[in-house]
Amino acid sequence: MSSNSDKVTITLPCRPEYVGVVRLALLGVASRLPFSYDEVEDLRLAVGEACTYAVERAGSIEATLTVSIGIDENGLEIYVTDDVPADTPKRVSAQDYDLLAETGVDQEGLGALLMEILVDKVEIIPGPAGTTVHLTKFAPKQST
Amino acid sequence: MNFKISERTLEPGQIILDISGEVDVLTAPLLKDAIIDQVNKGASHIIINLESVEYLDSTGLGTLIGGLKRTREAKSRLSIAGMNSRIRRLFDITGIDKIFIIHETVEDAAAYTEENV
Repeated sequence: MSSNSDKVTITLPCRPEYVGVVRLALLGVASRLPFSYDEVEDLRLAVGEACTYAVERAGSIEATLTVSIGIDENGLEIYVTDDVPADTPKRVSAQDYDLLAETGVDQEGLGALLMEILVDKVEIIPGPAGTTVHLTKFAPKQST
Repeated sequence: MNFKISERTLEPGQIILDISGEVDVLTAPLLKDAIIDQVNKGASHIIINLESVEYLDSTGLGTLIGGLKRTREAKSRLSIAGMNSRIRRLFDITGIDKIFIIHETVEDAAAYTEENV
């Protein structure tokens, strides 16, 4: 990010009902760069996956999600940070981890795979007091 | 953005679940419950109609895979129909397209009989 980048930060409860809010905000910010419709949709999905990763780890504990989107002519730098402690038991109500594991699919693996494919760079930074998912999407090259 | 599920019966045992809106970490559990409900009622073929789904993420994919496994255990079938090109792309890039029978339309899914399997 260059020094003249703008930054949009939103803080919200780390719960399923707020993931859609983050996707909407991202849509608004990403629209400021000349991304194609598909690229914006890819970004929306990747950010949704980053939030879902936090929400599923939060389970029933009260946690906070902070999404920070840096934007400049080079692209977007997105940080999705939660304060879910590393030893929090996983939420099991929404998904059948066991059922999925039997079919050889790992839910978290699917989310991570999607992020890897949909944006240019993914970095997951786990910590004892919370995790940050850092996504980078470069702006499309402008033809001059 | 609203998520909705409604069910139709094509013929006895053949159920269509028409899904609309966004399938994500908030709404995927509702889809899961609807599939379980139909399996418990003894549906022999559940067709998930994604024609009006605008957004589907890994939790939605996971729910569909879970549904596939449940229907197989119950000796019934689960088919997917009507997905848009973006959602189809998700199935393709994750390799999940290989485990589902995917149809263009609900009518195609309904006409696909056991003999073809």
